[in-house]
Amino acid sequence: MSFIRESFSEFWASNISKIGILFLTVLVIVSIYTVVTLPLDFGVRYWYNPLYWVDYPKTAQPEWINIFLSEKLMSHAELSVSKASGIKTYNNRFIKYYNVSYNHEYNQFPKFITLRISNLLFHNRDSPPIVRFYVTRPDGKTVELYTLAIETPSNNVIPPFKYFSIEPKRILLSGDMYLARSLIGFLYREFNISLGISSILEIGNERIIFGYISGKNTFAPLTGRYVFSTVLVCSDVNDNIGMVNVVLGGYVYGLMGTDVLGRDLSQGLLFGFPVALIIGIGTSLLTTVIGAGLGIISGYIGGRIDDFIQRFADTINNIPLLPLLILLSFIFGGKLWLIILVLVFFNWPSLTIIVRSMVLSAKTSQFIEAAVAIGASRLRVMVKHIFPQVAPFVFAQMIFFTPYAILAEAALSFLGLGDVTMPTWGQILEYGFKNGAVFLGYWWWILPPGLFIVYSAITFVFIALGMEPVVNPRLRRWK
Amino acid sequence: MLLEVSGLRLYFKTLRGDVKAVDGVSLSLDKGKTLGIVGESGCGKSSTANAIVRNLPRNVSRYEGKIYLEDMDLTILNEAEFRSKIRWRRISMVFQGAMNSLNPVLKVGFQVAEPLIIHKGLRKEEALKIVEELFRLVGLPPDIVNRYPHELSGGMKQRAIIAMALTLNPDILILDEPTSALDVSIQAQIMNLLKSLKRKLGISMIFITHDIALASDICDDFGVMYAGELVELGSAEKVLLSPKHPYTQKLLSSIPRLHSDKTPEFIPGAPPDLVAPPSGCRFHPRCPYVMDKCYRENPQSILVNGSFVKCWLYK
Amino acid sequence: MGLGKTLALKGLTLIIVLISVLLFTVLIIGASGLSDRILNSIMNEELRGIRQKLTTQIRDPEELNKAIERIRQDLVKAYGLDKPWYARIPNMILRIVTLDLGSAREVQTFTGSNKISDIIIERIPNTILLMTSALIINFILGLLIGPRVALKHGTRIDRATSLYSAISYALPTWWLGMLMILFFSFQLRIFPFGGMYSAPPHEDPFMRFLDLLWHVMLPLITLVLALSGSWIYITRSIVLSVAQEDFVNVARVKGLPEDLVRRRYIVRVAAPPILTNIVLGLAGSIAGAILTEIVFDWPGMGTLYYKAVMSVDESLILALTYIFTLIYVLARFILEILYVVLDPRVRL
Repeated sequence: MSFIRESFSEFWASNISKIGILFLTVLVIVSIYTVVTLPLDFGVRYWYNPLYWVDYPKTAQPEWINIFLSEKLMSHAELSVSKASGIKTYNNRFIKYYNVSYNHEYNQFPKFITLRISNLLFHNRDSPPIVRFYVTRPDGKTVELYTLAIETPSNNVIPPFKYFSIEPKRILLSGDMYLARSLIGFLYREFNISLGISSILEIGNERIIFGYISGKNTFAPLTGRYVFSTVLVCSDVNDNIGMVNVVLGGYVYGLMGTDVLGRDLSQGLLFGFPVALIIGIGTSLLTTVIGAGLGIISGYIGGRIDDFIQRFADTINNIPLLPLLILLSFIFGGKLWLIILVLVFFNWPSLTIIVRSMVLSAKTSQFIEAAVAIGASRLRVMVKHIFPQVAPFVFAQMIFFTPYAILAEAALSFLGLGDVTMPTWGQILEYGFKNGAVFLGYWWWILPPGLFIVYSAITFVFIALGMEPVVNPRLRRWK
Repeated sequence: MLLEVSGLRLYFKTLRGDVKAVDGVSLSLDKGKTLGIVGESGCGKSSTANAIVRNLPRNVSRYEGKIYLEDMDLTILNEAEFRSKIRWRRISMVFQGAMNSLNPVLKVGFQVAEPLIIHKGLRKEEALKIVEELFRLVGLPPDIVNRYPHELSGGMKQRAIIAMALTLNPDILILDEPTSALDVSIQAQIMNLLKSLKRKLGISMIFITHDIALASDICDDFGVMYAGELVELGSAEKVLLSPKHPYTQKLLSSIPRLHSDKTPEFIPGAPPDLVAPPSGCRFHPRCPYVMDKCYRENPQSILVNGSFVKCWLYK
Repeated sequence: MGLGKTLALKGLTLIIVLISVLLFTVLIIGASGLSDRILNSIMNEELRGIRQKLTTQIRDPEELNKAIERIRQDLVKAYGLDKPWYARIPNMILRIVTLDLGSAREVQTFTGSNKISDIIIERIPNTILLMTSALIINFILGLLIGPRVALKHGTRIDRATSLYSAISYALPTWWLGMLMILFFSFQLRIFPFGGMYSAPPHEDPFMRFLDLLWHVMLPLITLVLALSGSWIYITRSIVLSVAQEDFVNVARVKGLPEDLVRRRYIVRVAAPPILTNIVLGLAGSIAGAILTEIVFDWPGMGTLYYKAVMSVDESLILALTYIFTLIYVLARFILEILYVVLDPRVRL
């Protein structure tokens, strides 16, 4: 018992160990948080489902970058309104207004504008409602954005009719022809400018909506208060819109920004923590158990078994890992268990060879002779007497192997051979590299995943360094 | 007087504090004589030997005293002088654990010949010839010269190391537990070898061991160490037959004897902590004759009947 | 006994390894049905070409089909597709061992050849250039810094070195490469984004050489930064443990001068285990080099392998796997020879 206590105090003596344990604690806490907050099939259900990220801004930088910029980048905005702000009657019709306002402080245009409407409820089959979208700009001018005609319901559906409840109706205003035509009228009416539809589309709908004329056919961003108005013209007072969302595509989003598909990098990066831990610790645990176990058996029992194990280990040692790993992943497809299996298979030999030589010298010590003389079975000797001798070294090796496993998986993912059902840091980097993030300067896509890889690897390296004086007593500190 | 050591101190730093491995040791060695230094493990005998040949650890914190070789004061020599004049030429050493004293990637003959090549500037062939002679002297077949250390048995390695120590014909040969790693029959052979070397070459030796019986076989004088101090020093006869220090007495009575029915005694208590040794006389916690004074003052070494003793029992 | 026999035995082991790997690769490709797929697609390509040619000669569609069918039967026999995959193994192995590697589907040499052996011959020097320079620099760094730091064990320099090694080990080479490009190419515009030469390449050979140097800088720095850490740490650790051995102490007490002790008793004794570790780390270096090449689009074996995997070019993948194993096994053999020469304890 005191051996453990002594080892621990030796381990704790250096600063590096303390930092290592601190890092490890952070890793574990973040992983637990991730497992609790994100679903297990996050990869398949969300990350690799592009539809989920449609309304997110693409390649947006993290929000906090604005702290360092004098000219702030526009935050992604998602406005919503679910209650009518006003109702009027006119000619047997009811007119409901759903208004939401937005303050635009930035010197940029939104990247895109999307309207979403969900849970439209109406009662009259013969006169379905009409939905119109408007925006009133800071300069008081109003633009008609879109008119949504509702289809007459088929005869076998009974009232009340619920539209857009499973999937909201999504209207992308950027590049919309109807809006472009409306803008031709708007520009002529309000500013006496004539522009053809191709010019409008070239400039971009959102620039005109959010801009003012600053030169010949150029627009500058118009700051101020915008009110988005959704008008429901219906025939029953109980007709209703559940929710209207206005999405204004921003340049910054979230804690870690987004990638080219609009995926929130903070979620993907978060998911990488438990995966890295599982891969790292799982692989190294398996490798250590097999490697040390075979080494002890090989060294203690000796004879033909020893020869066989040693030849086998030597052969495997001579095989280059990466090309074969690539080949296998290529043939069988990238799967997590395959990666772990191959990593374990190619790495147990080196441990076996070292443990065997340690066992060979431990075998000749007298207390082993004594144990055998008393009649201890071979298994008992190996477990109770030999194993404690090699345990510190084996344990240190296990710790040291963990970062290797993490790095190996990351490298594989980078090559595109990773497990495609869950996002790992390596995969995020792979996607970034493939999409030219490096050459386009998307630092928020490249830096954090790599930093996290380094962080997790370093955690275990530090712990392993701290274990060095425990394993090699001659290195113990005297100062 | 070939070697005169006085007030030798060697402390080294550890996490818990300074280990006072050698704390004020004084001894002397006559030409052609063998001095044995005995004591329990950890009493400082190896450290004393290391201190004499200036084989200091990296964490040495205190190293002082006077060491006179004939009339030369060794302590005032700087490292370069010590290396060229003293090391191996005047004093050589056989270390504990012959198993690891030889460089595994060099041939045995070459390693033994190295001092001749470095110190005397001999050519390799000449040096190896001398080595062959040396091997004959220590009872090794001369073709061992071309072997590697891992090809030799334990006993052969020890002989080779002894030969290596004699290469430059030193005045003093220090042997630190030369036989503890060997089995008994080899041990006897090595002891016979040392005795014959003593006869033939008249070499002066310091023989360090925990095995008093072994030491009595070859040593002319005896020094007993305890807790970093030399508590008794005298001729073998005097120390073995009429031990004065209580520790020496206890030590001797703990040796089982072949022709006696007496049960060996043991010394109660444990060896002291060299970082914080007991106050006063370091043996006082285990001494059967402990007095008041022993708790407070560390006795001086005084000459009693031809032996030096550090004990308040004597005035 | 001694040198010769030991080496012969090592050589035999390695040949066994090579054959085993080959067998294993071939078995995997056969058993997974890949082999059939490959041959089928090659055969169908050939068939299509023949059909095109024949269409101009035979007008009658029935005749045409009969002729095609006959030719197909012949081809099936020629490709061995009428037999199960394991009957094709001896032939396959023979072909690969004699380096008859076939053709790639999409990749070409600069001169337009599709033959895999041509492609490989064209690319290998580029990889060797990059890898060897990095290896040499790391080797020198390891030997220079490692022992020196080891002898100052426990001091701040030692701890700083350990820290550097730890970070260097945890740093993925390929990510570091990306960072380098991001910072030095995109941000600072000092170095090019990748590749080996500018396009179009310079006429003047001296300018070409400078251009090459300019292009090799970033990948080289990346490799050195990422790999030197573990090299230095390994040399340091081994030298450290050797320096604490008894015989080093004995050498000092023997009166040998310090630099001789260092050379003959520390470095010389540390050389075999350091060499072993180099051998062990060779696989890692190959992997690191492959990944770095990919990031920097360096036209070597690494990017070739990557392209092969990306474009699912089976014959190229098979050929490259074999070549990599071959090179690896050869390198290990050479290093094993060195080891046996340096450490007499290993000889039989």
